[in-house]
Amino acid sequence: MKRIIPREEYCIGCRLCEIHCIVQHSKSRNIIKAFKKERRPAKRVEVEEHGHVSFALQCRHCEEAPCITACLSGAMQRDGVSGVVVHDSQRCVGCWTCILVCPYGAVRRDGEGKKVVGKCDLCPDLEVPACVANCPNEALVLVEE
Amino acid sequence: MRKYDYVVVGNSAAAINACDAIRSLDPDGSLALFGEEKRRCYSRPLISYLVMGTVDEKGMYYRPPDYYRRRKIDFHAGSKVEAVDPERRCLETSDGERYKWRRLLLATGFRPFMPPVEGLEEAMYLTFVSWDDARTMLRLTSRPLRSLVMGAGLIGMKAAEALHSRGCEVVVVERMDRVLPLALDETASEMVAARCRESGIEILTGRSVSRVAARGGYRGTAVLDDGAELDFDLLVVAVGVRPRTELAEVAGLRCEGGIVVDEHQRTSEPDVYAAGDAVVAYDLVRGEPTVNALWPVAALQGKYAGLNMAGKEAPYPGGNSMNAVEFFGLPVLSAGVVNPPDASYEVLIRRGEDGDYRKAVIRGDVLVGMLVAGKIERAGILTSLIQERANVRRIKGFLLEEGFGHIHFPRSMREERIVEAVAGLAKQEREARQERERRRR
Repeated sequence: MKRIIPREEYCIGCRLCEIHCIVQHSKSRNIIKAFKKERRPAKRVEVEEHGHVSFALQCRHCEEAPCITACLSGAMQRDGVSGVVVHDSQRCVGCWTCILVCPYGAVRRDGEGKKVVGKCDLCPDLEVPACVANCPNEALVLVEE
Repeated sequence: MRKYDYVVVGNSAAAINACDAIRSLDPDGSLALFGEEKRRCYSRPLISYLVMGTVDEKGMYYRPPDYYRRRKIDFHAGSKVEAVDPERRCLETSDGERYKWRRLLLATGFRPFMPPVEGLEEAMYLTFVSWDDARTMLRLTSRPLRSLVMGAGLIGMKAAEALHSRGCEVVVVERMDRVLPLALDETASEMVAARCRESGIEILTGRSVSRVAARGGYRGTAVLDDGAELDFDLLVVAVGVRPRTELAEVAGLRCEGGIVVDEHQRTSEPDVYAAGDAVVAYDLVRGEPTVNALWPVAALQGKYAGLNMAGKEAPYPGGNSMNAVEFFGLPVLSAGVVNPPDASYEVLIRRGEDGDYRKAVIRGDVLVGMLVAGKIERAGILTSLIQERANVRRIKGFLLEEGFGHIHFPRSMREERIVEAVAGLAKQEREARQERERRRR
């Protein structure tokens, strides 16, 4: 499956990955509309920064995913075909148990109004996920096995 | 007599995750599941959401409608198992049907604890632990009622919230001096109680119900220990839960405050496993067997029981207490020790200007507990440090900072968690693919 690896020696902390992630998960997928007119979805990638070091981190799609086991409603599942840890916002009740157990802090409350979480879905509609495609310094690398 | 490779008694978190794990290793072995309720597996913690209307009936189910068929599970719906005989490896249901098994899982769950309160046995009340209880609550509250909730634990507070959403007057009586005394610390308890009180829920702490007088139907009067009398139209009794061990005890399994299991979820009898709220299993924070009657813990135990039943050597990594709650817009997450029992624990606290609250509990440089209220994002990183028993001496100063993350870990630890974990998985996948290709040739 596709996986994203961060490279902190190349990350400049510009947070363009966060911006483009938000756009890609917005209703219109238009940068101006997403930030100015619509309810803004939660970012699914987080730039961690301390001093001069930074890197971007999103869901690792763990093999033993604690979020899947802990999910109260059954909304967090592994896609049998792609292996991606997918989240069904229709079935999510917003109990925040996944936020409580995710070792990477990669699940967030989603800002789109309803009480649900959001997480990286590896951009199923794109060949290359938006964060990787829009990184100006190749600090996010897509590996595919 | 029909014989199954695997029999699962129970139909909730532990049972279903056990079935999933068994099927991940053994797609074809015969598998039967006995559920006391007629319904397909539903998420018990969601019953308050059902009453509040934030989840519909369809949303209650933990798995899709065709789950049992697709997993090739003989689902014995509404079938109560009356006895199991470990010697003959057979069980008997209340209909008198008998089945044999090769490996058995007891996932019998919890039962509500009934306090010895005078008059309670003659009264009608809800314990608010099942879908039927939620339905009854919905039916009874078609007009607003005066309701009384005994117990301010998770179930009691959820019941109070549900009743409030139905326009009922709600009084909560708690014997301890604060709400959610096990899941939260004093500060977070006060924060939650304040929200509830602002919204109109009355909370009486440090008080208990000493007598209940039934007055027809669900109506009655409660007399508190200070003599105060409270009339109610609906009573909810939620003063705690206990492991359901009757079946295990009659079968002669070792029980000590719950069914005793080893690190492979095996009971004292060969080929009999147990998982979930009925079980005392290893708690990695306490370092000893504990009952953690919590959905995520039950699911994890079920998963490991299933793996071991299907023949994999898979020791249970251990569970820990953890709670995610939200009342009236205030989310609170906690894990591990939040109320340190003595001064050997170091406590870090941080309060934000906007009222958010964070706490870390450390013992001997190991993070053993955490609680965050308000801004809950990324708290799972702290939970994972607790579960990994990681030494946090070098990152102590950052733990409660808002931007805390892997960036504060030593680089080797960070790379191990983020980069190498992925590279390791990628390598496994590559090898698996090569293996498949080799076989094909």
